Amino acid sequence: MSLPGLELTQPSDERQNVVAPPSQINLTPGSEWRFEVAFGHSIKVKLLTGTAEIFGTELAESQTYTFSGAKAAIYSWNGCELEVSAGETHTATFDGVTPTAGHGAGGCQSEYVSEETPMVEYANAHFALESMREETQDSGKDGPRVLLLGPDNAGKTSVSKILTAYATKVGRQPIVVNLDPNEGMLSVPGTLTATAFRTMLDVEEGWGSSPMSGPSSVPVKLPLVYSYPHPSPLDADGSVYRPIVSRLALSVMNRMAEDEDSRETGIIVDTPGILSSGKPGTLELINHIVTEFAITTIMVLGSERLYSNMVKEYDGKPSASPSADAFDERIAVVKLSKSGGCVDRDAAFLKTAREFQIKSYFFGTSIISPSPTAVTLSPHTSQLDFAGLSVYNYTVTSADDEDEDEYDPSQLNMGDSFSPNNGGGDNYNPAESDRAAPLPGIVGLSVDPANSVGDLSGSSKVPLKKVLPPAPTALANTLLAITHASTTATPAQVRDASIIGFLYVASVEPDKGKIHVLAPVGGRVPQRAMIWAKRWPDEVIGLVN
Amino acid sequence: MSGLPSDDLVEDYKISLEDLTTNDRFQINNLTVIAKENTEHASAISRVLENHIGQTPPMQKLPALYVVDSIVKNVGTPYTLFLGKHMYQTFMNAYATVDQLTRRKLDEMLKTWKEPVPGSLETRPVFPPEITRTIENALIRARTAAIERERPQVNRPRGGTPTGRTNTQTPPQGMPRPMPQYPNNGRSMHTPTPPQGHHPDRSLESLNRDLEALIAAARANFANSPFDPSSQARLKALLDLQGILQSRQLAPDELKLVREQVSSLAASTPNSSTHSPVPSMPVQPVPPVPVPVSTPPTQTPQSLQNLFNAGTLAELIKATANRQQPTPPPQIPNILPQMHPPQMPASSTPQPPAAAENPLIAALRARGLISSQSAPPTMPSSGTPPMGGGSLPFFIPGQSHSTPPVPTPPQAGTSSTVPMNTASMKIPRLGLVVTLYEAKSNRCGTCGRRFPTTDEGREKKARHLDWHFKTNQRMVDASKRAQNRSWYVDERDWVKSREAGDDSGPADTENAKEGEAGADGTASKQGPPKSWIRAPNDAKLRNTPCPICQEMFESTWSEDVQDWIWQDAVKIANRVYHASCYAEVTMDGPAPRSSTPQARTSTPDSVLGKRKAEGNDSPGNNMRVKMEPA
Repeated sequence: MSLPGLELTQPSDERQNVVAPPSQINLTPGSEWRFEVAFGHSIKVKLLTGTAEIFGTELAESQTYTFSGAKAAIYSWNGCELEVSAGETHTATFDGVTPTAGHGAGGCQSEYVSEETPMVEYANAHFALESMREETQDSGKDGPRVLLLGPDNAGKTSVSKILTAYATKVGRQPIVVNLDPNEGMLSVPGTLTATAFRTMLDVEEGWGSSPMSGPSSVPVKLPLVYSYPHPSPLDADGSVYRPIVSRLALSVMNRMAEDEDSRETGIIVDTPGILSSGKPGTLELINHIVTEFAITTIMVLGSERLYSNMVKEYDGKPSASPSADAFDERIAVVKLSKSGGCVDRDAAFLKTAREFQIKSYFFGTSIISPSPTAVTLSPHTSQLDFAGLSVYNYTVTSADDEDEDEYDPSQLNMGDSFSPNNGGGDNYNPAESDRAAPLPGIVGLSVDPANSVGDLSGSSKVPLKKVLPPAPTALANTLLAITHASTTATPAQVRDASIIGFLYVASVEPDKGKIHVLAPVGGRVPQRAMIWAKRWPDEVIGLVN
Repeated sequence: MSGLPSDDLVEDYKISLEDLTTNDRFQINNLTVIAKENTEHASAISRVLENHIGQTPPMQKLPALYVVDSIVKNVGTPYTLFLGKHMYQTFMNAYATVDQLTRRKLDEMLKTWKEPVPGSLETRPVFPPEITRTIENALIRARTAAIERERPQVNRPRGGTPTGRTNTQTPPQGMPRPMPQYPNNGRSMHTPTPPQGHHPDRSLESLNRDLEALIAAARANFANSPFDPSSQARLKALLDLQGILQSRQLAPDELKLVREQVSSLAASTPNSSTHSPVPSMPVQPVPPVPVPVSTPPTQTPQSLQNLFNAGTLAELIKATANRQQPTPPPQIPNILPQMHPPQMPASSTPQPPAAAENPLIAALRARGLISSQSAPPTMPSSGTPPMGGGSLPFFIPGQSHSTPPVPTPPQAGTSSTVPMNTASMKIPRLGLVVTLYEAKSNRCGTCGRRFPTTDEGREKKARHLDWHFKTNQRMVDASKRAQNRSWYVDERDWVKSREAGDDSGPADTENAKEGEAGADGTASKQGPPKSWIRAPNDAKLRNTPCPICQEMFESTWSEDVQDWIWQDAVKIANRVYHASCYAEVTMDGPAPRSSTPQARTSTPDSVLGKRKAEGNDSPGNNMRVKMEPA
């Protein structure tokens, strides 16, 4: 609900924008048009003449593309003319999201043309990778494994999109690995994924969509998903992150071994910005990733210090690949410029973006964008008997408490305050809400950030604890990740299991021991172990009704 | 020192070296021991080693150099002295001919030479720093030259020097004439005497000066009207001519012809002599370290680059750039790429035919002025890239590059190899961007995907358009009914899965899926019996009754399949039968495509309808029975 005053002004704004003739934007060769569109508002972009690409994916001529909730740039190597107009403001807005049309062309919040872009560098990165890929064809060595590092908002994901788009464009099939739990790739936040890209990326949706029961105008991509329901890889000193990364890497390596196209093309690994922050423990995690994926090329964006560290640490060193010796495969560390177009995405924007990612997982992209190619999905609601489920919860706290507070200040308080309401308060499981006094044998030392030096190999003590009935009320508005692990699996197996899909808990009825959930697919919910994404991604209120 | 007694030894050593074809530790140790035991013949052995390294094929240079390495580290003096003497030539020569991998190894080896022998008491480095430093400097220069040269259509990164083409790495100031192109057989390189050959002919100097003035004028002209192809052609012609003049010694009559050309050009150029050209060749003593002979990165086709000598061109550009402060020519590089026909980087000889030879050169050639035999570098059509040597184009300082050298590793296609390092990232390679765009000019109008204009490309595009068509159809259908997100696959399936493009294979994958689905069938609460198929879209088929009972099929909506289906139906050889009818007729028990022994019951629906299918592979797999709706 918007305020009365706002309601008056907005439609008139809208009308203006609709009436206003579409603006034309001319891009000279090597320049780009940067734009920001708020969530809830949309713009339509049409390529009139020339060639243009968005993060490496080429736009078709005379097709109308709709953007909403986007901060992006359309680049042109050869020059082009674009036509930009306002799309209809999306009616289905959600709480807290007020569609705001800016005053730029088509109602962008901000839009301008820039001739200073690092696209030459990014393209060179692609060409250099292509050179390496060409070598693989005769020699039998694996394609390049690229690690993208850089602080938040340095454009890592954009570069990985560009590299992916260019690779698919020349007929390659890179495996793109997302290790950033803050932003899902073809999935919800709080996941680590790997996907082989053969078909083009979705111009409007960034990466595209995971498979649906119906058709999709852009071929769907098939992600392999693991649950990592924490905002930072440093949580629990990386003792959770690391094994999942290893597991993911193992699957990717297996795929590479069997899939010739992927083997030749290699891997592109996108990382969360916090890994590049220089915080204690980050270098170890980077090293872990470099080793597990046998990284050959480290690209550092926008951080001189990190670049120099990486050069010192890795440049010219043999890669971790078992065949590194045979091929004299060495790691190259390369610095790429940060684009001047990178904008800081504030916490509110990121939160909204995460929310939309979750929503579009269940409801399809039409919930974000009025694009004609957007898909509407119909999830199913059902009621589950909590006692019949096998729900696990990570009993770790953040390695960085400040961060956690920043990301989700209210969560634990909420759990605490609601606990008295639990019918069977007596056997309330302390592990799920009690952060101050974690179970000794389970979380143990990992709670104290000061102890982060201490080695918590964690393999024997996986901080994953079964949530026993009655259903905690804190389940409401959070996600449950259904793993492929059986209900009787060990915590380590549950942690390492890939994900079938997600349930959204709409409400909890502790008295009856029932939870109401939203499932993407109708029918019975798979009888598997589930991981409660209690801490991450943040709650989404009111997904149902 | 190679007295008689050592002859046998030397011969033996030589043969042993020739046997050394791989990096065999045992052999290398052996050769080291022999060297150690015969220090009195160190000079002869060193000579043998040097010669061997010079002559042996590139693949075997590394092991031979490892022998050197082993000897100098394990034996030390006097070998260090003898080998150090010509180490520069030996090393650089080898470096030039080996591939990238070996170069790295050589780099590493060189690194160890700068340090004392590990574990020894000696604190001095393996080789005196003078030696290693000379080599290192030369390598650095060569690399820079290579990188410079790599920028094919120069669009210097912002903030670069105004001229996009100069060799930033110390344009050789003291080169009155370019290096003579003397034959390089790998051994004759011991003394890279930079020829100080003074041309007696003063008229050549004046000619040079005239030419420079012309070039300056043309350059200014070009800067003013960068889009005018004629001014570009003219400038290029002049540059080429200058290259010829400076790279060769022309016979007097040839010179005369050139002069005529030049003066006729000069006549047509206004202002050509307004400024007295700066003698751009200050003669300075060149340090013994030679100069990278790099072909500068001009936009001329590669072979023509050979016309130039880096030194002179850099000199020229520098001089002209200085003279033209008001119009620095940074636009030139910006513009040039567009004037050239797209260059296919993958093609072995990047020679745009039209631009390969400009009229002036052609004219000169037509007059027999340039005979290709006498001037190897001016063979634009010979197709020999200036320098092979692995993936990194490499220019050996102090070494000419014109002769067909020692067998070099692959040459073709090296131009497209982009090294992965930070410096390389900054170099614009607009020529390669073509691979992303123009190289595949056949675009899909719907999604912008590009296809090559080959037959295969067209075929792919046809399949791709088919895919679009089918998808659009399905989307129209799908919009009428609910869709949902699918579950993710598990690890095993993901590893086994292969991305199906939108251009591969005929589009009947869906049919195949239908077949599969039909094969196993499923049951849900509405209970499609074990055998069902999607209702065919084909009207004819749709209106064809079961051949056995002559009854029509009934379409029912399946919530699970999310489509219209025909229950109790099987499709066999393009005819659809009732599964039960078919089973009865074939009399082989179960319906052929049904997996359960539910072959025929009088009321299959009712019986099967109560089944809760579990553990089958049908589309209903994960959606068996709807739970109580909330």
